[in-house]
Amino acid sequence: MSRRTEPIHPLYFAAAFGTGGLLSFMVLFNGTLAAYGSLFFASWVPHLTGTVAAMLFLLVLRPKRARVTRPPVWVYLGGVSGAITVMLTSATLNSGLALSGTIALGLAGQMMFSLFADLRGLFGLPQRTPVRRDYLALVLIIAGSLILIFLGSGS
Amino acid sequence: MIWFAALAILAGVLVSLSRQINGRLALSTSAMESSFWNHLVGLVFITAVALLVGGLFAGEPTAAPWWAYFGGPVGVVFVAAGSWLIARIGAAQTALLIIAGQMISGVAIDILMGAPGNLWARTFGVGLILAGMWVVRGGRRA
Repeated sequence: MSRRTEPIHPLYFAAAFGTGGLLSFMVLFNGTLAAYGSLFFASWVPHLTGTVAAMLFLLVLRPKRARVTRPPVWVYLGGVSGAITVMLTSATLNSGLALSGTIALGLAGQMMFSLFADLRGLFGLPQRTPVRRDYLALVLIIAGSLILIFLGSGS
Repeated sequence: MIWFAALAILAGVLVSLSRQINGRLALSTSAMESSFWNHLVGLVFITAVALLVGGLFAGEPTAAPWWAYFGGPVGVVFVAAGSWLIARIGAAQTALLIIAGQMISGVAIDILMGAPGNLWARTFGVGLILAGMWVVRGGRRA
């Protein structure tokens, strides 16, 4: 049971916040594709161009491998989970949930499973027990997000 | 409706699951290699499903503006960053800060693109998120 006493490193903090900003651009780009083509196409294209881009990044950056031993096969299947996400959301988008309901419930599912994974140390990642201020931050950020999702757009 | 709600929640669970699995792969390889496999395996999977279901090139995909095709390279950095972060600050804090960044940048993009919106709700929502970020940022047990 490790209880966090250190503040989040400013680099991690800024990187995580900036990564969320990238997501907005992905939504904008992929959403624009979906407006012209099928939802499959809107997911297929970024996976295709992403695979090419990642290959180029790997060739140029040549990152060091952390371990020589090969990891188990299941760790290569994260992409399947991501691809299924796209298919599920394309189904719920067209239901009564619409975009706002899809995003709101998705946030809930993401946070619940993230907390569970941290508490249990799932998939060989470090176990960590969220402290009270983590839960307070969760309430504030999710409440702010719900306000933006349900009340922020449209006048 | 309850079925669709369950599917929407499951979609969120899968976002987190994917980040965890990619984070585990990054521990054995590197964040960028994990992002590469995420995209390649996802591409193969989507291609297979699209071939089964059909309709991949339905609509008017060639009419999309050129910049819309750049979601891929952005996604590569997104997945690599998530894989890198999750082993360092945990799944919950990674998810929280990414959500905060997405929401606030989303408001900024909406304002820049002139999308209609309620000023008070935007201000209040962004304020709550900033407060949450301030809370999560500090150390020591509250």
